[in-house]
Amino acid sequence: MLYFVRRFAFFVATLWAAVTLNFLIPRLQPGDPAEAIVSRLAGRNEAIDPAQVRAVRIMLGAPDGSLLEQYVQYLGAVARGDFGVSYSYFPYSVTHMIGQTLLWTVILVGVTQVISFVVGTLLGTWAAYRRNSRVDSIITLGSTFLGTLPFFWLALLLIYVFAITLRWFPERGGYGGGSTPGWSWLFVSDAIQHSVLPATALLITGPIGWIIGMRNNMVQSLGEDHARLALARGLPRRRIALTYGARLAILPNVTGFAIALGGILGGTVLVESVFNYPGMGRLLLEAVSNRDFPLMQAIFLFTTIGVLVANFLADVLYGVLDPRVRRAEST
Amino acid sequence: MNLFQPEPRGAHTPRPTLRSDEPQGEVEKGSMALLEVENLSVTYAPRDAPVTRAVQDVSFRIREGEFVGLLGESGCGKSTLGNGILRLLSPPARISGGRVVLDGVDLTGADEERLRGLRWTNLSTVFQSSMNSLNPVLRIEAQFAETFAAHRVGEEVGARVVELLRMVSLDPGVLRAYPHELSGGMRQRVALALALALRPRLVLLDEPTTGLDVVVQRNILDRLATLRHELGFAVLFISHDLGTVLEMADRVMVMYAGEIVEDRPAPDLVREAQHPYTRGLLGSYADPRSAEVRVSYIPGRPPDLSVEQPGCRFTPRCPYAEDACGQRRPELRPDDGGLVRCLVAQDGRLPRTPAGAGPGLPVFVGFPAAAGLDRSADPPPEQAVGDPVLLVDDVTKRYTTRRGLRTTSVDAVRGVSLALRPGRVTALVGQSGSGKTTIARLVTGVERPTSGQVRFTAADSTTEVRVDRLRGRALRDYRRHVQMIFQDPFSALNPTRTVGYALSRPLVNYHGLRGPAVRERAAELLESVGLAPAGQFLDKLPHQLSGGQRQRVVTARALAPEPEILIADEPVSMLDVSIRAEILELLGKLVRTRRLAMLYITHDLLSARLLADEVLVLNHGDLVEQGPTLEVVGAARDDYTRLLLDSIPNPFSAARRPG
Ligand SMILES: Nc1ncnc2c1ncn2[C@@H]1O[C@H](COP(=O)(O)OP(=O)(O)O)[C@@H](O)[C@H]1O
Ligand code: SF4
Ligand SMILES: [Mg+2]
Repeated sequence: MLYFVRRFAFFVATLWAAVTLNFLIPRLQPGDPAEAIVSRLAGRNEAIDPAQVRAVRIMLGAPDGSLLEQYVQYLGAVARGDFGVSYSYFPYSVTHMIGQTLLWTVILVGVTQVISFVVGTLLGTWAAYRRNSRVDSIITLGSTFLGTLPFFWLALLLIYVFAITLRWFPERGGYGGGSTPGWSWLFVSDAIQHSVLPATALLITGPIGWIIGMRNNMVQSLGEDHARLALARGLPRRRIALTYGARLAILPNVTGFAIALGGILGGTVLVESVFNYPGMGRLLLEAVSNRDFPLMQAIFLFTTIGVLVANFLADVLYGVLDPRVRRAEST
Repeated sequence: MNLFQPEPRGAHTPRPTLRSDEPQGEVEKGSMALLEVENLSVTYAPRDAPVTRAVQDVSFRIREGEFVGLLGESGCGKSTLGNGILRLLSPPARISGGRVVLDGVDLTGADEERLRGLRWTNLSTVFQSSMNSLNPVLRIEAQFAETFAAHRVGEEVGARVVELLRMVSLDPGVLRAYPHELSGGMRQRVALALALALRPRLVLLDEPTTGLDVVVQRNILDRLATLRHELGFAVLFISHDLGTVLEMADRVMVMYAGEIVEDRPAPDLVREAQHPYTRGLLGSYADPRSAEVRVSYIPGRPPDLSVEQPGCRFTPRCPYAEDACGQRRPELRPDDGGLVRCLVAQDGRLPRTPAGAGPGLPVFVGFPAAAGLDRSADPPPEQAVGDPVLLVDDVTKRYTTRRGLRTTSVDAVRGVSLALRPGRVTALVGQSGSGKTTIARLVTGVERPTSGQVRFTAADSTTEVRVDRLRGRALRDYRRHVQMIFQDPFSALNPTRTVGYALSRPLVNYHGLRGPAVRERAAELLESVGLAPAGQFLDKLPHQLSGGQRQRVVTARALAPEPEILIADEPVSMLDVSIRAEILELLGKLVRTRRLAMLYITHDLLSARLLADEVLVLNHGDLVEQGPTLEVVGAARDDYTRLLLDSIPNPFSAARRPG
């Protein structure tokens, strides 16, 4: 129990630190913090656009009070999810824009990540269970081969074959021009149609890391003394594979998986831009090319929070799965 | 209910325990063998290395209830043979010939399902490292439960498990624990209880107590002896530790380079070993309490088994070797009461044990006696010994740990005083956790005492340095005078750096040597620790050296800064018994010729007896006994010291047995 309390305290502390740094860094520089942000993001040599500075100033809130007052206001704004007005999508607020795109990303990438992890772990387990057999060679060599293909090349190939040549699926976007976003059947099926190609591209490359990691970890656990003793004890082969192989082999992957999930918020630029998908990655890309600093700031903060939450969940999960960690931390 | 009523699964009759006075050794007539190993060979065929024939043409039998020891240096193929019997070999190892027959069933030919049924109900095992032999994420109870479930034992499992734990003197509370929450000794008992869970007929123990403290080892061995008499299972006991094997076993097989070289009842083996290798092993043991203690060692290492070698494999190390030995391969042949594989012994031409060599003094002609370790000579008079270089004065070290809001404190060391003098060895003896290493850390200045003083006076000066007050630069300067030799020569050296590099570091750092002078000095150091010609070793990587050679390199490195104090923390406990004396001899020689003051930390009283002038016994941080070695070891006054002494396995107890 103590372990979990500690992990939670650690999570809260890092979260606070991240949020505070986000507040402090622009203010540590001499001069107007809004200008500082703009010049930092714009690069040294470019002229500063006063309109942008104004936009950032709105986001930063009450620049006139004492530092403490500003800080309190800032914390309040963050808690309410109020990040000011987007510069490039004026008059929409940053929060609105993020809300528009977050769900797309979370659904597309989140679902494919989970499926990749499950499929990868199962295939890796199977390969390790039948190690040095034909199944093992096919799985290992196959995934190694797929792993060497560049992602965008694969994505373009999918678009070329299934969208342009066969015309089975739409080529780009998250939904068709004709449908209006909402929870209607028409829209949802249209969105699913649009997500097939990007999801396929993610699902082809996604499991590879998990397959290789799982297989190698498990082959190693099965070579350890406890697995050999389990064999000597006459335990069924399948039980040994699961409890002495997979159960231990999955531990390091759990952390990796949680961190990958946390990275979703910021890490999907490639797939979203290839498929022109209306997610966070594309939003970030647009924010960068339009110099939309309030939006960029908010996305960065979001990404940080996502990674921290994921890390916390990974720690909790690890603690549940591995009694050794719980104990080591609480002494 | 009695747990060990005959099982419904197989109607084997209750077996009488064997007594050691029955004729043994030769192939038994009449009584049916429980285990028959016939011409078993095992090879390792790794992809990137030559084929190693680790077990060659091994045949032996074990009868119901018999306790058989398998003795040999590490690397001789004992574990490989054990795993072959258990059918646990996995690539690159495979059985390349022969059969293993257990109770009439050929295990080598059995398919997986057949084998699974026989496993554990007939043949169970305990591995050396119980840390790794239990599943780290399952509670102990789950590991019992799955074992019963795998063999469809459903009824009264709970009561059974408690009974099993009671047999190994464990509290049922451990069932709720995970393996890492138990101490090494407790885990090993759990492993033993688990091995007995299905009342097997043969238990294979591979180094079951190696690495445990003597007192813990003693408890486990005693439990094992009792259980074996109560339950009547047969045992194949594998170990490189002569004392344990000879004390426990009815019959001992000695393995060298993949072959059985001698097979004989334990008392006969102690009295009249016939194979030179066995004699060499026996020579490395002595009773530390005897008035006179002498040990010998076997020079060299077991041969590389990937290279075919004509003739007897022991030839390069054998003091009795003749010309014929290099050409003709000896067979394992019966002699009176046993089997031996030696041309000279088979002709009856092996010199007999020297007259007057009673138990406790089994040095055989021929093997190099560890010179300079004959501590029976009068201790040098006190004034011939210089003033102390280091004084530990009434030192206490308290560690405080905070857990949440509670703080607990332990005194790792309480009110300890000692003096280290040039040319003298002070041994610090005690179980793990008794505070030995803490004292070492105080002496090196890594830790500061909570109270008391540590004072250092260099030989060429009169100023006293307060080690317990040093910081920063001064502390670094002081460290040069105090060097350590660690227990594990494998991890003490960087595996990616050559021996020459390892030695050059302190030479460059402390002496400011540059260029060819470094290499020259490194070569001198190597020769001073007996690695000659040094040119052969300078460019080697640690993995190309044997354990003993590595420990010599570590010693050479410790000598490089020309220290005044050497702290050796269990320097031989990870080495084979057969070469320990050789390293102890080296350390003894260095101390005397270089006038070093040595703090020798160990839980092994024999090595302390051999090397040390003075012994300090620590128990839970308290100094319970202190004095000249012979006095402390020979006539211990403290209960704890006596417990340590009584825990040492005594092979000669077998010789004293009637028989
Ligand atoms: N995995 C392996 N691959 C290749 N050779 C091995 C392997 N394990 C052991 N050997 C070889 O087999 C021989 C016997 O080893 P082992 O059975 O562990 O001896 P022991 O138990 O007597 O110490 C050693 O000389 C070693 O070189
Ligand atoms: S055969 Fe020769 S070399 Fe081998 S053990 Fe006997 S005497 Fe020594
Ligand atoms: Mg071994």
